[in-house]
Amino acid sequence: MMKRTRTAAIAALGLGVALAASACAGGGSSSGGGSSSSGPVTLTFWTNATPGPGLTYFQNAIKTFHTLHPHVTIKMQTIQNEDYDGKLQTALNSNSTPDIFFQRGGGKMLAMVNASKVQPLTLTAADKQNISAAAVATESVNGKVYAIPLDVQPEGIYYSKDLFAHAGITATPTTIPELEADVAKLKATGVAPIAVGAKDAWPAAHWYYNFALRECSQATMNEVGATLKFTDPCWTKAGNDLAAFLKVKPFQAGFLTTAAQVGAGSSAGLVANHKAGMELMGAWDPGTIQTLTPNQKPLPDLGWFPFPAVPGGQGDPSAMMGGIDGYSLSPNAPKEAFQFLEFLVTPDQQKLYSQAFVTIPVNKASQSVVTQPYSVSALEALNKAGYTMQFLDTQYGQNVGNAMNAAVVDLFAGKGTPAGIVSATSEAAAKG
Amino acid sequence: MSDTLGTAAVGRGHRGALQAGDAAHAASPAPRPRKRRGRGRLRLEIALLSGPAIIVFVGLVIFPVVLAAYYGFYRWQGYGAPTDWVGLNNYKVIFTDPAFQQALEHNGFIVVLSLVIQGPLALALALLLNQNIRGRGLIRVLIFVPYVISEVIAGTGFSLMLQVNGAVNDALHNIGLGFLATDWLANPSIAIWTLMGILTWKYVGFAVILMLAGMQAIPDELSEAARIDGASYWQVQRRIVVPLLGPTIRIWGFLSIIGALQLFDLVYIIWGQYISSTAGTSTMATYMALNGRLAGNYGYGSAVAVVMFLISITVALLYQRFVLRRDMRGAVTEGVN
Repeated sequence: MMKRTRTAAIAALGLGVALAASACAGGGSSSGGGSSSSGPVTLTFWTNATPGPGLTYFQNAIKTFHTLHPHVTIKMQTIQNEDYDGKLQTALNSNSTPDIFFQRGGGKMLAMVNASKVQPLTLTAADKQNISAAAVATESVNGKVYAIPLDVQPEGIYYSKDLFAHAGITATPTTIPELEADVAKLKATGVAPIAVGAKDAWPAAHWYYNFALRECSQATMNEVGATLKFTDPCWTKAGNDLAAFLKVKPFQAGFLTTAAQVGAGSSAGLVANHKAGMELMGAWDPGTIQTLTPNQKPLPDLGWFPFPAVPGGQGDPSAMMGGIDGYSLSPNAPKEAFQFLEFLVTPDQQKLYSQAFVTIPVNKASQSVVTQPYSVSALEALNKAGYTMQFLDTQYGQNVGNAMNAAVVDLFAGKGTPAGIVSATSEAAAKG
Repeated sequence: MSDTLGTAAVGRGHRGALQAGDAAHAASPAPRPRKRRGRGRLRLEIALLSGPAIIVFVGLVIFPVVLAAYYGFYRWQGYGAPTDWVGLNNYKVIFTDPAFQQALEHNGFIVVLSLVIQGPLALALALLLNQNIRGRGLIRVLIFVPYVISEVIAGTGFSLMLQVNGAVNDALHNIGLGFLATDWLANPSIAIWTLMGILTWKYVGFAVILMLAGMQAIPDELSEAARIDGASYWQVQRRIVVPLLGPTIRIWGFLSIIGALQLFDLVYIIWGQYISSTAGTSTMATYMALNGRLAGNYGYGSAVAVVMFLISITVALLYQRFVLRRDMRGAVTEGVN
């Protein structure tokens, strides 16, 4: 009897130790196998793709790759987008780093590069043919490539052709004064002119990014990436432009508590249900809108036009904001992991990818599959663009980007000033 | 006294229960004097039984606090080991950041208003529900239900209902009170009162249950005696029930203050990751999430966590020293002895 009690106590103590130990260790299945390997290879692959055509695409791509290289098995793990960064960070700091992982780029990638947590890649001539130099440049740090981009997501304004026609708008606006006139026409018909999901901050901040893109020269914007000093007057001018634009009250009522992508009340949902005329968003928007229409089918009258020109700005009026989705390798990932990324940017795979994710593939040879009118407009604008600039919260890193986003929301809410955006970004530099 | 009577009454009905109760009573109050060997065994048993809990507590509470203090001295993005030592700079930035000062003000506001609003309300409800009224059980359940609902569900529900085009404004329009309809969540001069309303709805049930339990523990004899001496209902409540409820009220105040200082989930769900400071509902915890985790400044975020910890523990210790001291000595029994 007594003996049993003691055994139980020791067992309980052991369990406690085990619990504490496992909490600290956090799993340890390392799969990094050096840079060359000949026997069977198992790779781990992390993506933020959600169930649906996108996930099915990756499953099929992994199967096809396995047929081509029977000794390579790829294990895919999907992670919910908002959980992704935290889990990846934990994994990168431990020994359980995934071999291939979704890469957001920009300042996030820079932090990984600085900590040597990501593998530099050497592109072959064939790779360079598959991926445009501009796309490669956005995935590079100091001339070294750290991720393979799969698609480009140029930003512009998605609008409802029916609502525009109903308001008597015959041509899409090309300047901000024209846009303001269209806002007034849409208002008169009783719909919200522009939807914005300010609760998520970045959708509101994208308006500031695009005004900055029009006001600031390419050189200025690139320089700031290195110095993080927003001293050029164009940054305040962009804020003044936005403040003036906000005066015409272009956004839906209650925009501050509207989310961007979740539910019929979100900004994408307002466009999907013809409650709002337009929204400024990246190329993933049609896919999001599609899931929020009453019948979950693509919005038939969806159109696209680039962000209007700002009279007197120093930026190229054709320049575009955009994002890029890429994939990186962990420092110890074997060469087969790189082969898989090379495989993903081949023309056939890129066509399938683009169809599954409803985006513009990074491989120009595959862009023929882009047929929806809004994507064709976006693609044409992209191919004509003088240059593309990554979303500023990516370009300038999470810390400064985060502060900029929050300051723009304050301006939207009438609480902040254009100068406040500049000072908030400078103050953020003190925190990290 | 009343406890013994109760046990006996139950025992009469259920034979088995009486025997079991007797056995337990016989075992606990009179421990046989142990030998020296027995005392060593007892120590070992205590060590073994409390060991797991201590290890988990040290590993999951103390160790992270120490780590946070360590990271708080670095400028650190969370990748690899921290190397960029900045001394107390993070703390300097925290205390000069107007956004943190605002968050702290909001926390203070919520601490005070929670006590001022929820305390009297809960006491009134508890006094009411301590009466023999019809549907007492149902009302108790209804008041307690919000506390049981998860913060995420309550927050999502309120954020949908309180939208400009949401159910609350629609209802106000329909009953002819349309002039009251407003932007409950985004208007900075209203949002924090909206938050107080939701917090009261959510947590008053907990206070009521605590106070009801406290009232159950007050012996009936006291109020019976008072009533025989001619005390009115209100006199009984004011002179006997509320004073004897003191320890419960003070403990509830403690829990309420700590909860208000660390408030995070409801604000985070309703106002999202970014706009709580714009709407004027940010708290120290949402400030930490925004400037630490979301901004990727894990060093700075750790420093904020340390500041929060120090503020909470200072308040907790002061409260224990000056408010709970009497209860620790057993204020209730003192009068009887």
